[in-house]
Amino acid sequence: MKTSTEKPKKGFSRRKFLARSGATILGSVALLYFGRSRVRGALSNVAADMKFDSGVTDFDPTVWFEVNADNSITLKSPKVEMGQGIFTGFAILAAEELDVDFDAIKVVHASTLSGPQTTASTGMSNSTASLYTSIREVAATLRETLKLAASKLWGGPITTLQTAHGVVTSGSHRATYAEIARQTKKWELAKTPALRPASAFKMIGKEHKRVDAREKVLGKAVYGIDTDIPGMLYGAVLYCPYFGGAVKTADTTHAADSPGVLKIVQDKQWIGVVAKTRYAAEKAVSEIEVSWAFEPNYSTKDAIKAITVGNGTPVVMQDEGDATIDTKSERVIGEYRTPLGYHASMEPSVMIADVSGETVTLYASTQNSAFMRETIAAETDFKEENIQIIPRFIGGGFGRRGYKHNGIEAVKLSKAVGKPVHLLYSRQQEFQNGHVRPNTHHILHGQLDTNGKISVLQHEFATGSMAFLAVPIAKPIIGADFPAAGHGARIPYSIPNKTAKIWGGDLPFQTGLWRGVGMFANTFAIESFMDEMADKAGADPLTFRIAHCGNTELLQRRKKLLLKLGEKGGWNTPKTDPIGRGIAACEDRGTISAALVEVQIIDKKIRVTRVVQAIDAGIIVNPNGVRQQVEGATIMAVSAALFEEATIENSQCMQTNFVDYQVATLRDTPQIEVIIQESLELPSGVGEPPISPVAPAIANAIYQLSGIRLRSLPLQAALDTHYRNSDQ
Amino acid sequence: MKIALKINAEASTFEADPDMPLLWLIRDEAKLKGTKFGCGKGICGACSVHVNGELVRSCLYPAHMAHGKEVTTIEGLSKDQNRLHVVQQAWLEVQVPQCGYCQPGFMMAAADFLEKNKNPTEDDIKNSISNICRCGTYPRIIKAILLAAQTIKHENIN
Repeated sequence: MKTSTEKPKKGFSRRKFLARSGATILGSVALLYFGRSRVRGALSNVAADMKFDSGVTDFDPTVWFEVNADNSITLKSPKVEMGQGIFTGFAILAAEELDVDFDAIKVVHASTLSGPQTTASTGMSNSTASLYTSIREVAATLRETLKLAASKLWGGPITTLQTAHGVVTSGSHRATYAEIARQTKKWELAKTPALRPASAFKMIGKEHKRVDAREKVLGKAVYGIDTDIPGMLYGAVLYCPYFGGAVKTADTTHAADSPGVLKIVQDKQWIGVVAKTRYAAEKAVSEIEVSWAFEPNYSTKDAIKAITVGNGTPVVMQDEGDATIDTKSERVIGEYRTPLGYHASMEPSVMIADVSGETVTLYASTQNSAFMRETIAAETDFKEENIQIIPRFIGGGFGRRGYKHNGIEAVKLSKAVGKPVHLLYSRQQEFQNGHVRPNTHHILHGQLDTNGKISVLQHEFATGSMAFLAVPIAKPIIGADFPAAGHGARIPYSIPNKTAKIWGGDLPFQTGLWRGVGMFANTFAIESFMDEMADKAGADPLTFRIAHCGNTELLQRRKKLLLKLGEKGGWNTPKTDPIGRGIAACEDRGTISAALVEVQIIDKKIRVTRVVQAIDAGIIVNPNGVRQQVEGATIMAVSAALFEEATIENSQCMQTNFVDYQVATLRDTPQIEVIIQESLELPSGVGEPPISPVAPAIANAIYQLSGIRLRSLPLQAALDTHYRNSDQ
Repeated sequence: MKIALKINAEASTFEADPDMPLLWLIRDEAKLKGTKFGCGKGICGACSVHVNGELVRSCLYPAHMAHGKEVTTIEGLSKDQNRLHVVQQAWLEVQVPQCGYCQPGFMMAAADFLEKNKNPTEDDIKNSISNICRCGTYPRIIKAILLAAQTIKHENIN
């Protein structure tokens, strides 16, 4: 039986770029994850393929836990619960080593005022991966500390003590953790003991219900938007909908006279209103007469032009063998595009600021307290140590909540009225003033050898930035956002000669991280092209992929997972209906994820009828939680693959609500099956990897069904264009 | 104007702008935060409540129209907190919520749907409820509604 060991992480081809880029630049993605203070320390991890540490700076059990009078234990989570189930995962890990029942753990958010501090964001599919060992160590240390206290109370050696169900026993002695805590005046911290081996796990890997399910089902869970503190007023802000625009002229007379309005605050790029009710604030905002100064006429066409291979400075991310194309032999060329996209989280960005003298407290739906704190300190008069951030449940993250958001505006409004202010984006602002997933363009060239295997593969792609927003200097120095937007651009398969090259384009609006990071777009291109190459070779797409899984550990895991998916997903099962089947896979931060998709085309509309997902993410803490994430990623992927596209006209995002930004609904729900690979490797991420294989698997299934190769997302629009062109 | 209404069987009177959406009256005046703001245009369904037993998207429903009526929110869906509404039981059993933000609206829609559909198929559910969930809990929502329908049937037989 294999034991869990830290595996060497497959890194970028460092020799190719480190000499010219220098270490500071690698910090771009780290900056969004960690904030400024910790970038340097995180650099080596960024180079190693987005494997970050947790950013948690404090592992004292008394900081993490509180033993309550009812013998429950409060765990203060340094990672935010945004649906990914991290509270439940952490409760399982803690209960495992604490020897308490799962129900005895109450998980709450840590804040800058209480609990373990963190310099990092919640994201990058990194919370379980980075804290899996640490949380068990902290919990085990608390257990030993309680035992040490009990041994002092009873006078016996610690070795005779036993713990189970939150009770310490020794011979005739018996005390609950709460009783020991009550009787102990002076704590002596025990040494961190050895952790239990996987073979002794009682909790990890077993099915657990979510710790937050009940309050969410009762409507009692408190999200950022639900913050309600005494004296609180309501804010609304008029933001410039045009890229980079500022207020040219503004007349706020009517707004100021509007009922319930207490204050108007005008800034360079926005005008804010504070009122007695949300309705009054929003009504007043609609009465502001404003003209904006901005560069007009930027449209989707310009964004597509800016993001085109050949535009800008290329950065080589992979260069193995000699990937020169032999122009005398036949080659396959595939050109792909993915569009701009929105996060469209259900809870719009929201921030409640409470300024009191030199200090300000923010109640926030944020994935990144540390970054918010830094940016607010930089842009207001408040010192970083005087800014307190209290995280709440987030109504959907997906990368959207990794930024500073409306924190600065909320602080300025609260300061202006001297009272707490509840500031909420409208849905239109959530679309037009958010961070858009950048569009991408991919050109792949491939050649086969005489055995029908790929001898040469080139991937050149262009993208906007995902993580450079925080460091504008990074782009001119290194040319392209290869750590984040370039994630997944390298060709993973064993091919003797292969290259990946990224062209960084400039977009004049806020772009950002979106679930899956660069893996989503890059997997669409590479896994669609693998199908095109298989077709050229006359090979079965699954067999063809397996034939290109060489001897590296990751490729062997990919092979095993693909074989299992093919077998359990019924790749070769005879079809009774006119359906197409497609398959695709990715390797994302140590996790292998693969999808088998079945589609139909009914009245020219793509219907995804069945998705079988297989995932190998190391040790699974909570199978129920993993299935939830895989199902959810599948739905979001179907939505983005079939429907979603942000467009631009006259320098503004054109979508204003769910009526003009179609997302998947119940009607679009396929049958979903989830296969979890058993493993004894340390856990890797789950929230993002399964989103990436779905779009190419759908495109491949459509090709199998109809012979139509769709090379751009969203696929329904691409199919519509295909029919339009063939009708003419 | 003075708006007098019953929320979750409790009579209350609020002084509010008559055109203010019922959503803000429920959330900010009655302080019941389970009903959520999602889109403000009646599209996503996060703000769904029942008014006199009818399913309503409260972000578009002017507060004055609720005057003299009975409003039920997620907090009042179960008349007895010790015995949850069949929809909430099913939601727990199937472990539907992820971020959970849209779920109160979905449960209010599901409760209304089950009042009208005693023997629903998967397609009935898909074609009747148009709420939006961005975490992608749809497969479990379908499962939970079918489970709740089964439970109702069994309860009616026994």
